[in-house]
Amino acid sequence: MSADVTTPASWQDDLSPIPPGQWSYDRAAHLLERAGFGGAPEEIEELAALGPAAAVRRLVHYQQVANVAMPEFDASGIFPSPDFVPPRQENFAQALRDAAATGEAFGVKLERTPDTAWLQPLVNALYYYRFSNNGEIGRVARWLAQRMLITRRPLEEKLALFWHGHFATENDKVRDYRKILAQWDLFRLHGNGSFRDLLLGICRDPAMLIYLDGLSNVKGHPNENFGREILELFSLGVGNYTESDIREAARAFTGWGLDGNRFTRRAEQHDTGEKGVFGRKGNFDGEQIVDLVLEHNACAPFIARKLYRYFVREELSLGLEKRLAGVLRRNRYRIAALLESIFLSKDFYSPASVATQIKSPVHLAVSTYRKLGLREIPGTPNFNATTKALGQQLCAPPNVAGWKGGSTWINPSTMIERQNFARYVLFPGEIPVPARRPMDFVGDIIGQQPYQQMAGMARRGDYTSFPNMSMEESGFARRPGTANETYNVFRGVYNGGVRTFQVLKIDPPKPAAIDLAGLLRKDGARNAAAAVDSLARRFLRAPLGAADRGDLVAFLRTRLGGEAIDFAAPSLETQLRELLHLVLSLPEYQLA
Amino acid sequence: MANIPTCRLRGSRRDFLRSGFFGVGIGASMPLVFRHSALEVAAQSFLEDKEAHPERILVVVELAGGNDGLNTVIPYGNDTYYKLRPRLAIRAADVLKLNPRAGLHPSMTGFRALWDQGQLAIVEGCGYPNPNRSHFTSMEYWHTGVPNAPESLGWVGRFADSFWRQPAAGRIVNIAERQSLAVQSDRHAPIVFSDPNRYVRAGDPAQESLYRNILERDTVQANRTLTFLRGIARTAADTSVKVRQAVRDYRTPVSYGSESSVSTLSTDLKKVAALIHAGFPTRIYYAGIGGFDTHASQPGAQQGLLMYVADAIEGFCKDLKRIGRSADVAVMMFTEFGRRVAENQSAGTDHGTATPMYIVGEKVRGGFYGAHPSLEELDSNGDLKMTTDFRRVYATMLQEWIGYGDSRAVLRGDFPGLGVFAGRG
Repeated sequence: MSADVTTPASWQDDLSPIPPGQWSYDRAAHLLERAGFGGAPEEIEELAALGPAAAVRRLVHYQQVANVAMPEFDASGIFPSPDFVPPRQENFAQALRDAAATGEAFGVKLERTPDTAWLQPLVNALYYYRFSNNGEIGRVARWLAQRMLITRRPLEEKLALFWHGHFATENDKVRDYRKILAQWDLFRLHGNGSFRDLLLGICRDPAMLIYLDGLSNVKGHPNENFGREILELFSLGVGNYTESDIREAARAFTGWGLDGNRFTRRAEQHDTGEKGVFGRKGNFDGEQIVDLVLEHNACAPFIARKLYRYFVREELSLGLEKRLAGVLRRNRYRIAALLESIFLSKDFYSPASVATQIKSPVHLAVSTYRKLGLREIPGTPNFNATTKALGQQLCAPPNVAGWKGGSTWINPSTMIERQNFARYVLFPGEIPVPARRPMDFVGDIIGQQPYQQMAGMARRGDYTSFPNMSMEESGFARRPGTANETYNVFRGVYNGGVRTFQVLKIDPPKPAAIDLAGLLRKDGARNAAAAVDSLARRFLRAPLGAADRGDLVAFLRTRLGGEAIDFAAPSLETQLRELLHLVLSLPEYQLA
Repeated sequence: MANIPTCRLRGSRRDFLRSGFFGVGIGASMPLVFRHSALEVAAQSFLEDKEAHPERILVVVELAGGNDGLNTVIPYGNDTYYKLRPRLAIRAADVLKLNPRAGLHPSMTGFRALWDQGQLAIVEGCGYPNPNRSHFTSMEYWHTGVPNAPESLGWVGRFADSFWRQPAAGRIVNIAERQSLAVQSDRHAPIVFSDPNRYVRAGDPAQESLYRNILERDTVQANRTLTFLRGIARTAADTSVKVRQAVRDYRTPVSYGSESSVSTLSTDLKKVAALIHAGFPTRIYYAGIGGFDTHASQPGAQQGLLMYVADAIEGFCKDLKRIGRSADVAVMMFTEFGRRVAENQSAGTDHGTATPMYIVGEKVRGGFYGAHPSLEELDSNGDLKMTTDFRRVYATMLQEWIGYGDSRAVLRGDFPGLGVFAGRG
């Protein structure tokens, strides 16, 4: 365990590199926990053997590391073609008007017949695209977690998660999982590269253009949403620009939009007039705004601080922020350079930094699985349901500001949820049966969002049902269409849901393949005390108190009926899991 | 805030509080059940005379989905209403009339009873500038109290941070499956639960007792994050037991109306009554009910929901009276937006803007507040133009009810109270 008391407090704020003689297993473990998602002792020992400079280099310059074969995302094929532009909420009303006028919308051909619900196929399709995309995004999230679990380049994924929170984009508005996937590709491509490439990339990113209303940012009608967030949330922070800077920056980005699903610059919609941003005047294009932003005094400190808070600790002095910003600026905004300097610094290994960070929900889940030696994200407990209950659902940040993190991850409920997450990973048979209707239950087992979403609607009594729930119960029977309506929303939700069932691939709800006895045998643990020490070393980054350790050893001794571990005993695995559940319930386990 | 001498307080209420913590009578000292527990600090605040009204409780009720305000408080005296809603308008004969201009939906007899007792205030035309018609975004604005700007803490959370410098467990309780952004605070961890039986760490009893041993062990921590986590873990463990105990043991003969999987407010308000009865040191309860997104077939759906809401709140008030706490509790109810004035072709209504808010309680000066928006002068979307910023209602609850001196910092602006409690404090 880390946090050895001998580390001098003077290391705090000291950016000079840690001496190679001070390198240790615990410090390597701290590095892997922060620059990745932690790992099994074997991985940590590898880093410990490399020495600090080589270990940090391997993690930060991950392009040089040969990776394991990463699985491609196994798409369900919910859209009819790669070019298909799926409907968003704001298109619904227009689609119905278009269909009434032209007999076609979103690829659905309609035949107008009097006194029938002739628009129904379109409404069915609108809901199908919404539900199936939500389901597919759930699969994307699980696939992302799978990458985090098996990669040999953990910082690549950890940085992608950082940029996902920084350039937060909500699937619910974008409604196209392919664009969300492409955005994650951008985060991986430039994650440790130049911030300029990232910022420019995000300004041209189809998901972001939709999310921040970039499509409606046109000459004569600049949409300030885009300009505002680029300055406020993505680069400078509040107070470092004026309202006029926002308007003028938005003008520079006018015409940056989409042609189908691809980025394009529509010259006729671009405002070619003179703009004034940060006191500079010129006929700026978006690209030049990005450069002006990078030259702004507030940019490097803003980005350096945010990266530092994600990787090291919540609080940092103004002096340290200034020096970090200097590193970033001198290295022309190359993220790898800043991170290399941080991960090598004495500050990173000072008592203020070690085991003082609260794991994010995604980190908690992925690192638990890594430390258990798993090679596959378990299907049950469901990854998305778990992280959502803990306050972090991938591809669904709470808003454009992303997750606040830090102490906001934790309240009494989420603390209990975290402890129960550990319980249900170790004892999947104990996952409580939801006190809800059978249809909800099916949704929970399969773990696909549309089921749950529709279950929620049906539960509230305002939408239709699923096949295994009676029509009467759902209220559907009491809401027949009226004779003269051209479509019925309830029927649309129902039909859209059923088609989603038919198309969406199902990720099997397999529990984790855990072998604690095997792990302990490999560690050479032959008695209760050794078992506790082995698990603490594997799972905890904060030291286990002597009295707490004594309690845990006594607990295992009682359960085993003696000091020695009998690897042939049939109940051994269960007793070890009870012990591990206790270890993972400790407040210490929430610390990275 | 002003330090008001004890003699100005109604003695009986404070006495109740002193003796009411889980029924344990006490003198001037801490109730035994809270000693060494995470609830201790919050419970202590009742016993100290630092606040003018430490006994007062605010219950926030959220109607999710965008309740149709025009069919809740019905402008039955206005022809335009009937013109724009040929299928959905409530007939004047059916309206529960409050005055010659407006009345309640016929299913809201519970609210009618509260109105007749002078305990219902209706604030009309509530909204915010540049209204957003997305459920998520608009609800976020109501939660943060900072429309059209990113903000990661909730208005209740920021209030708690500012009002109670010392973090304490249990000052805020959120009855919900997931914590609301509204109660997100920097320093005050809310208790969040829906099913008290899920708000519990799983594990067998022997294992649990060992866990509690470890948690109770006072170890000096240099690691401040760990200190924070241990505090939350203790709060979770303590409150988990007490919440379950309080809810399980609560018995009341008072009806809260229908209790089903769609009328969840009745069961949730009963949980609130149970915690109040058990003497929880909670000052703000946050609860809600969904299903108001009535794009189609609105009449049946809304009728049921409004009945559940009105019955549940009326039952809650009666129950509070029964347990002697009715003078200490005020309910504020809101929804993220109202709905479009004109009905759509599916016998429903689409997302709109301004909508009434409601304040209920024995200390409330019943009547209409705010101003009804014009049905003739709509915005370019055909929506109502708001007359009253919703943050004025928040300010009313914080200043006039809870006794928070100045809500400007919390609400990021100057929002004068409405005088709903004036002269009745």
